[in-house]
Amino acid sequence: MLERLRNFFARPRANFLAFLLCALILPSVAVLLVAVAGMVSQERAMEAAVSSYVQDLAESMSYHLSTDADVWTFSMLSDFTRFPFFSWGPSIPGWVALIDNSGRVIIASPGAMNIAAIWRSDLPVGKAVKIADKQGAQFTLAVYPVKRAGGGYVVAAVSWTQLLGGLVGVVRVWPFLLMVIALSSFVAIKLLWSRLVTPLRSLVAEIDNMTLGKDVPESIGNNAVAEIESVHSALRRFAQAAVERDNLRNRYVRDIVQAQERERVDMAREIHDGPLQDITALVQQLHMTLDDENHSDVARIKLTETIAKSVVRELRSLCDELAPPWMDLGLVEALTELAERLSQVYDIQVSADFDIDDDSREIEIENEKSLSLLRIVQEAVSNAVRHGEASEVHILLGRKGDKITLNITDNGNGFDAEKINHETLRVEGHRGLASMTERMSLMGGDLKIESMPGHGTEIKASFELGGRS
Amino acid sequence: MAIRILLADDHPLTRSGIAEFVRREPTFELVAEAEDGTEAWELIQKLNPDVALLDIRMPDMSGVEVAQKIKAAGYGTAIVMLTSYDAQQYVMASLKAGAKGFVLKTVSPKELTTAINTVARGGLYLDPEVASFMGSDDFSPEPLSAREREVLLLAAKGLSSKEVARRLFISERTVQTHLASIYDKLGSRNKTEALLLALKYGVVTLEELLED
Repeated sequence: MLERLRNFFARPRANFLAFLLCALILPSVAVLLVAVAGMVSQERAMEAAVSSYVQDLAESMSYHLSTDADVWTFSMLSDFTRFPFFSWGPSIPGWVALIDNSGRVIIASPGAMNIAAIWRSDLPVGKAVKIADKQGAQFTLAVYPVKRAGGGYVVAAVSWTQLLGGLVGVVRVWPFLLMVIALSSFVAIKLLWSRLVTPLRSLVAEIDNMTLGKDVPESIGNNAVAEIESVHSALRRFAQAAVERDNLRNRYVRDIVQAQERERVDMAREIHDGPLQDITALVQQLHMTLDDENHSDVARIKLTETIAKSVVRELRSLCDELAPPWMDLGLVEALTELAERLSQVYDIQVSADFDIDDDSREIEIENEKSLSLLRIVQEAVSNAVRHGEASEVHILLGRKGDKITLNITDNGNGFDAEKINHETLRVEGHRGLASMTERMSLMGGDLKIESMPGHGTEIKASFELGGRS
Repeated sequence: MAIRILLADDHPLTRSGIAEFVRREPTFELVAEAEDGTEAWELIQKLNPDVALLDIRMPDMSGVEVAQKIKAAGYGTAIVMLTSYDAQQYVMASLKAGAKGFVLKTVSPKELTTAINTVARGGLYLDPEVASFMGSDDFSPEPLSAREREVLLLAAKGLSSKEVARRLFISERTVQTHLASIYDKLGSRNKTEALLLALKYGVVTLEELLED
């Protein structure tokens, strides 16, 4: 407990909210206490004032009646309103009456007739008491005996309800209001705690424990205030985006790995079916030549030469496919070569044209980017032939200042570019369109495909030299 | 007098194979062997051979760069590119660098002899495997028109159709039509083939192609 307190004060910033709430609670408690104390002391003061008043009134009247026989006699005969006591009326905040020993009212100030109803014979004499009548109305009442023949009592009373009602009301209202204020501030603090501080803390805990890209926070419930809820839902969206991004990346890596594996398998098959078979045949022929008694089997040696040459051709084309060596001739030459090769491979017309804004007739560009452009062309031509059955493909590579543009148009069947679902294609293992776009975006450029059934396809790619690589 | 030959190739096995071919021929004299482009260039400056057999891909300096230096220095050494690459753009790059011959390393000794003899005489020799489209020697193409020759030469220098059109004050469409007609007449499938065939048939000369 002590430890917790020490922690609490050692880290004022961390416990700022708690401090703030304390700062709100303490005055409320103070107000509440003051209000209660005020109410109690007010009550006491009023009771004391009223008691001494009725006591004084009753005592002085009983004294007058006891000593002044004339007054008494006279008053019995004529109207007693001449006595100031009885004629003051409303200016006295109370009533006074003379009753006989049996409780019958002999004389009374205006409105005091009902004193008989609350007087009881067992009331203490000479001392103010607070009693209630049958209706529950409160009175402070003092009884003094009259010391003369015939006896009787003077009863003075003040009705809390009637005479002091307004005053008591006003006096009692402000501490009551203060109490209400204090209590409502407690409620407010309680709500603040449960709707703001607690959700805020759980939000912080959630962020602390969250693994980005893996967890998505659950719904916070409807206890929190709208602002926290919206922060929370922003967090949710953020976490969801992170998860999606991670999924995408994982999928991308998987795709790359798959593509690599596929390429290896293809390459292995090509080496196995081509050069390996040929060299095996070559070795066999050489063995036979060596075994031959007369070492003049020219025909066989010629055969080995033919086989060896075919191995060279196969290996050369394998190299060209893996990484075209003519890349180092520059982009213009390389693209021209590629166009001519593709033209031969697919037996269609593939032309490459260049639109360069100066007389250099060459585009200075990193080998990597150059290769990317060539791969895009390769993919585009392959698509044009395989899917579009195109017979002509035209490639236009342009440079204007730092901007490089690549346009590839074909006269194939075209397709509805709007309806292409890249995700479906990807899942089916067709990464062609996606990889073209990805290559371009890796260079900081973009690639658009425009096509309509029956109108061929146009691929427009562009990027800035010196951009992201 | 024997033809004095320099051989530059960074691959020892291929170099020794070709060196043996050359030594066997009595009319050839192998004056030096180089392992890279820099050494080749130094030896050429020192020995001034009649023919240099240069590998294209070599460390330090490529065969094409050595050829450019020879051409720039104005030496009389005839250059034959000796390579594993069959890309026609290498042929074009070599010719532009001043080479007169282009042969693959798988060439037969007989063909290599022919190539060396041809370039030594000032002729042009292209490996039949690279220029397989060139067909037999007795084919004589339909002559090109003067405008078609102009279009072909400009296109060969690397000008785009648009630029060719601008230079000749004709439309791009007309340039395309001319090119199609040129391909048709020479029996080629593309610009590079057309140019190589034009060189072979003497429709254009290497000098015309190289002048700017």
